[in-house]
Amino acid sequence: MGEDSKLGALRKGFLEFLVLRIISGSTVYAADILKKMAATDFATQEGTLYPLLSRLRREGLLDYQWQESEAGPPRKYYRLTAAGQRQLTEFDAYWAHLNQTIDSMGS
Amino acid sequence: MRPVISVSLNGRAYQLEDDAHAALAGYLEAASRALAGNPDQAEILADLEQAIADKLQRCLGPHKTVIARSEIEQVIQEMGPVDSGPGSGAAHDGVPPGAPSPGSGGAGAATGAAQAGAAAPKRLYQISDGALLSGVCKGVAVYLDVDVTLVRALFVVAAVLTGGLAILVYILLMFIVPYANTPEEQAAARGLPFNARVLVEQAKLKAAQLADVAAHAAMNNHSREARAQWKAEWRKARAEWRQDWRRTRAQWRAQRWAGAAAGPIPTVPPPMPPLAHFISGLIWAALGLVVALVTLGWLLALFSLVTTGAVFGWIPHHLPLWAVVIALILIFQAVVWPLRAARHGMIPRVYGYAYPWHSFLDGLVGLFVLLLVLWYLTHHGHDLQQTFDTLQQNAQPAWHQFLLAWQTLVHGWH
Repeated sequence: MGEDSKLGALRKGFLEFLVLRIISGSTVYAADILKKMAATDFATQEGTLYPLLSRLRREGLLDYQWQESEAGPPRKYYRLTAAGQRQLTEFDAYWAHLNQTIDSMGS
Repeated sequence: MRPVISVSLNGRAYQLEDDAHAALAGYLEAASRALAGNPDQAEILADLEQAIADKLQRCLGPHKTVIARSEIEQVIQEMGPVDSGPGSGAAHDGVPPGAPSPGSGGAGAATGAAQAGAAAPKRLYQISDGALLSGVCKGVAVYLDVDVTLVRALFVVAAVLTGGLAILVYILLMFIVPYANTPEEQAAARGLPFNARVLVEQAKLKAAQLADVAAHAAMNNHSREARAQWKAEWRKARAEWRQDWRRTRAQWRAQRWAGAAAGPIPTVPPPMPPLAHFISGLIWAALGLVVALVTLGWLLALFSLVTTGAVFGWIPHHLPLWAVVIALILIFQAVVWPLRAARHGMIPRVYGYAYPWHSFLDGLVGLFVLLLVLWYLTHHGHDLQQTFDTLQQNAQPAWHQFLLAWQTLVHGWH
């Protein structure tokens, strides 16, 4: 469990980045995001995602609008704001930089 | 008789058994506590309620209108403990849906993983994420909790050993096994929480995907969309084929049950003159004999390879044993496959469409050949050995000359 929780902490740090990335692809609603992440290591749950989405919205990185759905009540569809797009670009560049750094270290 | 409590979740009424209500109330209360001080507390709670309502919807039907405690607990497990936000330390380390920690805050996440393995039902799905072809191997790998490369390698070996039958099986699975589309299905495909090995592998894959730099983002987005669209269409087409296949299968079954006498006969070939019929019968039998002899020779070759390390005296110096075995199998299939195909093509000419007779006679002929060969071996085994020896003596110089010629040819080009 020790190793797993270390890796867990790593993943937790990436969660925001990943959510921004998913939303940048197309407008999505929360269940879409969960679905996209479900088959990956970043599988997460409503209890984690919803507070994160709300914080990102407060920080002005994303925005939502209500849309009718065929089944059930209207849903919140999220998209990135300009600030969110900038943040994602920064994340991407930093991630590439980090990768290079990590690759250049060690054997 | 049980008391039932009605609740409204985001404007929709649900009826819960009393202990189910207690569990849900406990979860929402914990969520509310975790979000205390969050300016969006009310909104997040409403979203959570909506998600719970969506999940509860699948438990309800025309004859089931009340939610039980076990169902609420399942939903709460899927929702996961509510994260109280940045820097609060209520760590939630990516436990997949299905890991339990009902209403106990963040502490349950760590201990829940072990129980999840026992609780979660497992089903075979195709998984398109990280798939090479269609996701069958990946799905099987996830189902068996082994490396996908191992499954692929085993599949290739099986494909060679069975003479392509495994490929047919793959194609069938491709059309029969459903895709894991919803989070529930994806959780069911895994059944277990990820272990560290798979995790590291997937992290590598993700890293490779994320390594695209932002400069290419627009272009990548475009091609990714195109690919996603293509995949969606392909999947749709496949779903239709799958339906077709089910329908055809149902028809087959119906026909089989309707009576074997009226078999599915598309066209009957015109009757042949007796002499032609006799000759084609002879050719058919001869082909069968050739196939049987080739098979026998192949089995002897395999046997001699495994026992003596040489194929009828020829020792493969430069090749490992497994490579020679695979080469033998490939050669055998290459020789036998067209013969078999030709033979099967002749069945209607020789027998009409009386399939049971064909397989019965086929078996008889095979048995006869086998007995004949056994008799020959017991009586003339020594002669056979000598024949092999002379064959080998004659073949070896020829083989060496061939090798020599080959080497000079290759070196001549350099």
